[in-house]
Amino acid sequence: MTISRKCVPFTPFERELSKSTIAIVTAGGVHLRDQKPFNIADELGDLTYREIPPDIDSAQLMVTHHHYDHTDADQDINVVFPIDVLRDLQSEGIVGGIAKIHIGYMGYTMQLKAMYEGTAPEIANEIDKGSRADAVLLTGG
Amino acid sequence: MCHRTVVAVQREIEMKGVPAVLITVSPEVSAQMRPPRALYPKGFKIGNSLGRPNMRELQKKVMRDALGLLTQNTRPGSIETIEYPEYGEQYEPPHVRSLK
Repeated sequence: MTISRKCVPFTPFERELSKSTIAIVTAGGVHLRDQKPFNIADELGDLTYREIPPDIDSAQLMVTHHHYDHTDADQDINVVFPIDVLRDLQSEGIVGGIAKIHIGYMGYTMQLKAMYEGTAPEIANEIDKGSRADAVLLTGG
Repeated sequence: MCHRTVVAVQREIEMKGVPAVLITVSPEVSAQMRPPRALYPKGFKIGNSLGRPNMRELQKKVMRDALGLLTQNTRPGSIETIEYPEYGEQYEPPHVRSLK
């Protein structure tokens, strides 16, 4: 198995979860129904991402992705984008808050260089500057 | 593929100084990119990162365990595996073909 030889970036978490604001990032192609769907017609993939506000009704979310079976996410988006789960954890006092911005993108792409050098740092910047999250939960789909 | 690129995003977030934890259901693929922190809920299929639809208690447990990794002394680049028998039928994750 090939392993990335780059060292692993690691930021220690020095807060209490119960006082921390959490953002969700998913590669599972999640977006709002009234946002532009990801372009699944392009064989090269889609390098864009969608910002998802914290107060949306999860029924307003959907998946556009053709590289995994999202039948389950169509029934309950929380299996890949756990926004209602996060709300439950907040109401139980397990986490402190829900970040101002969450991110959905479509993780399938043939344009890896553009993904690694463009989309990935852009999403990180959005999380850092826009979401004000203390920590992030990511899902692969 | 999604389970590779999501680690690239995670690593960029970590480089901004924001701690991040990944839930992966394709651990071999994610491991190639060495995620800073990651949970593999054993036997969950692709598309079921948090479990099955409407299994809210299970979904909460998985999310709590994932966020819990933030406060544990995990080894950067490694993936923690946790079993959730209540998930039911287990699935074999995609394997990475050895290049050797």
